[in-house]
Amino acid sequence: MVISGSGNRITYFDTVPVMPSVEEIMSRLGYNKSLTSLSAGDKCFIDASIQLGLALCRNQGAACRFTVKEHKRDMVIFGDNESFESSRLSGLLSNSDEILLMAGTAGPEIMNRINSEMESGNVALAVVLDAVGSQAADVILDWMMEFYKKILRREGKRLTMRRYSPGYGDLPPANQAIIFRLLGLERLKLKLTESMMLVPEKSVLAVAGIEGIQPE
Amino acid sequence: MKKEKFRKLLNSKVLVLDGATGTELQKRGMPAGVSPEKWVLDNPRALIDLQKKYFRSGSNVVLSFTFGGNRVKLQEYGMGDRVREVNRELVGISRRAAGSRGLVGGDISSTGNFIEPFGDTPFETAVDIYKEQVEGLLEGGVDFFFIETMIDIQEARAALLAVRESCDLPVCVSMTFNEDARTLTGTDPVSALVTLQSLGADAVGCNCSTGPLHMLEFLKAMKPYAGVPLFAKPNAGLPKLIDGKTVFDMNAQEFGQYVPMLAEAGASMIGGCCGTDPSFIHEIGKCVKGIKPGPVGNSRFSAVSSARKTVHIGPACPVTIIGERINPTGKKVLQAELSEGKTTEVRRFAMEQIEKGASILDINVGMPGINEADRMMEIVQLLSTTVEAPLCLDSSIPEVIEKALRIYPGRALINSISAEKVKLEKLLPIAAKYGAMFILLPLGDSGIPATSAERKVIVREVFRQAQFYGYTRQDVIVDGLVMTVSSDQQAAMETLDLIRWLSREFKVNTVIGLSNVSFGLPERTRINNTFLAMAIANGLTAAIANPSSEGLIPVKLSADVLTSRDKNSRAFIAYCTTKTKTDAPAARVSERTVIERIFAAVVDGDREIIGDLLKKALAEGFRANILMNEHLIPAITRVGELFEKKEYFLPQLIQSAEAMKKAFEYLDPYLQAASADSPQKAAIVLATVKGDIHDIGKNIVALMLRNYGFIVHDMGKDVDARAIIEKARETGSAIIGLSALMTTTMVQMQTVVELAKKEGLACKILVGGAVVNQAYADEIGADGYACDAHIAVKIAQHLTSA
Repeated sequence: MVISGSGNRITYFDTVPVMPSVEEIMSRLGYNKSLTSLSAGDKCFIDASIQLGLALCRNQGAACRFTVKEHKRDMVIFGDNESFESSRLSGLLSNSDEILLMAGTAGPEIMNRINSEMESGNVALAVVLDAVGSQAADVILDWMMEFYKKILRREGKRLTMRRYSPGYGDLPPANQAIIFRLLGLERLKLKLTESMMLVPEKSVLAVAGIEGIQPE
Repeated sequence: MKKEKFRKLLNSKVLVLDGATGTELQKRGMPAGVSPEKWVLDNPRALIDLQKKYFRSGSNVVLSFTFGGNRVKLQEYGMGDRVREVNRELVGISRRAAGSRGLVGGDISSTGNFIEPFGDTPFETAVDIYKEQVEGLLEGGVDFFFIETMIDIQEARAALLAVRESCDLPVCVSMTFNEDARTLTGTDPVSALVTLQSLGADAVGCNCSTGPLHMLEFLKAMKPYAGVPLFAKPNAGLPKLIDGKTVFDMNAQEFGQYVPMLAEAGASMIGGCCGTDPSFIHEIGKCVKGIKPGPVGNSRFSAVSSARKTVHIGPACPVTIIGERINPTGKKVLQAELSEGKTTEVRRFAMEQIEKGASILDINVGMPGINEADRMMEIVQLLSTTVEAPLCLDSSIPEVIEKALRIYPGRALINSISAEKVKLEKLLPIAAKYGAMFILLPLGDSGIPATSAERKVIVREVFRQAQFYGYTRQDVIVDGLVMTVSSDQQAAMETLDLIRWLSREFKVNTVIGLSNVSFGLPERTRINNTFLAMAIANGLTAAIANPSSEGLIPVKLSADVLTSRDKNSRAFIAYCTTKTKTDAPAARVSERTVIERIFAAVVDGDREIIGDLLKKALAEGFRANILMNEHLIPAITRVGELFEKKEYFLPQLIQSAEAMKKAFEYLDPYLQAASADSPQKAAIVLATVKGDIHDIGKNIVALMLRNYGFIVHDMGKDVDARAIIEKARETGSAIIGLSALMTTTMVQMQTVVELAKKEGLACKILVGGAVVNQAYADEIGADGYACDAHIAVKIAQHLTSA
């Protein structure tokens, strides 16, 4: 029997069981395996800072599927007459009958610590924590996409290869407000500022398309 | 049906289950979008015909059409208040189809909600939801229960407990694994089996998601550890979407080829899931004829599990380290966090211990002034998703252990159960109900026995009582009771004698709380590590210890090699290889001059020593401006070069900048005194623009600019354009540096540029941030764009050199 299909039921992941790898975090900080050299002291500092950062992340997420009502060249209409105005997103979703809205957050603790370390003058530590938090927000969305890929596989469907976040390409940041509202993100204690910034900062919203797997 | 009868039935032949029901009913007219349960209640004949067909095709069992018969699912169709009635009636329909032909299993599946700790539905809410459905199924007269298509081990546990707390009927639990041999929430087949069979499932299996080929692998993985019958209900291959319809890629004959293999791999029940129909069941029936299931329940192993991992314990396994650090005794930071409801330290200890070599984590949150049960539950929920290691629940209060066991999504280890009468009577049934392993502490109401002989008596007695609850020797780990040798030098030998006896004669696993042995002595790690090696030589299988303690893991790994627990010395060699890489000693020049050491301190980012070095240099007669201009500035410039060549990455650049900042602060009074003849430093206003709250990049730029002698007026984040202009005018700044992370806020940069022009401000404007680039800087008329802090310094130097 098939696990529940589409429907506007929001799934909240109170704990997303994934953490970014040390390699991903180092890469985000500009570490180049073949060029960058680390002393034992540097390595010790980086390792301890990353461990602390990971301990400060409280990964949560939310996701919901919506039926696509209409595709236009520069607009996708979905759900209860909601729309995203973006020709690039519309292109990405051209084969999608549904879309998946997603949100991921590493929680407030890591951001509070980044700010307090910065204020205390521990800038290097703050920078490493910042990279951990940013990477955590990304891997939460990666994890949710993998999660839905497996559900969709059972329905003979799949996710688009890429996801799209407001503020990138021609999808205006104002669309953060649509995703925020439709996913009821107050429940994850997220806030959206007037300038469409997510608080806590280490949070990301995205949309991906759901399309059928055609026989080869 | 009684459990014993059910087990006998499964031992006598491979039972044939039914195939897909929902898709078959669609073929018989059930429209999409309706409540399937409601449609069958209105059209019972369709289900009766189908299930009769399944029986005629060879099914020994059909499942009631109650897959979505829980309150959450029925509520979607406005039937949330009819759970018992719907389930009772649907079972009645299947009973009519079954007659005397076969059994009716009460089908239960997911609510679609995620249960704590993975989701937001409280565990007890889930148990209550399932209990309500179980009542209806019981009223309908099911023969046994069939919990299926579970993607979350915690929801499977909730359903299983609901059945067990409602009746004594047999209950089968089936998880859904993907091709990667994990459920959606990451549980592997062995961990699912260990968790569910210890919690009382009468059979464990897998259904849906994959075809028989993958399911074969899942069964093979589970078989060595199966104490209960296994079963499989595969899909007819993999689905594809053709003309809006889901189609599976395997026919009945192809499916049938796998059936003998599934039986051989251990399946005592075989049926079909999505894409199968009566023809598949006919094929299964043909293929299992004459096959007798293999013996069940002969496996003997000791293991605990989390939602994502199983840890085996035993004389043939490497010695298990149970990390002891999550315990507030003597840890002020942890105590404070537990009091305040924070968890950072707990998470840090958890990850650190696992990284250092712990396989299981001991969790003890007992301290005055907190609600231990609440904190324990919170920490168990947290760590169940944060780390893969199974947990050892450590409390002296039985109620705390019980609450934690109930919500723990795996098979836990209890620390501990002693012969103290009240605790023994309370804890044994609790431990047995949740199928936990436990540490048997050989002490009684009269205290800790001094000799191993007395302890052996207690071990025998507690184990005798545990056997009444179904415990075997594999389910128990006996504590060797380590006492401190500083007060009784014979204590260690008594413990070793007990371990030897437990290991060689009583044949149970053993554990010690290692660090007790050295209490009150100097150089404790030496005593601890030596005692660990001695205990392992006497048969010890686990130790509660701090894996970060110096030398502990090398001793354990060495002992694993010497006692043949580390096959081909793989773990030891891997450890040595990693250690060589990370411990490569940094080249040190011990005889450097103070000037060379100052240079090195900046390049190495060592802010701790730079003040002392500068003090020494000043005492040796070096002038502050010489130190700054001829040694510190070249040092930070060298760091910049290393960063440009990617030999340094961002944290190293900043550590150097922090050392440089410290040097500036130290030399500043001396430089001020000599500043009359120094050139005027350039001032810069820095700000993250209005509406933007990201300022880490801007802060790094401020740090770097200060290191190169600029006077930085950092206005912070979310700063209004007018305020920036006024600050620049007020301070006579040569440059305004602006930062923005978002496309929504970077437009504020243009506002500042235009306002500066309008006000006739002579300032140069430098911009940067994640979404900004050179083209945007040019477009808005900025004087420079910096992609990172190092480049920002270079551009600022260029802009102020004209």
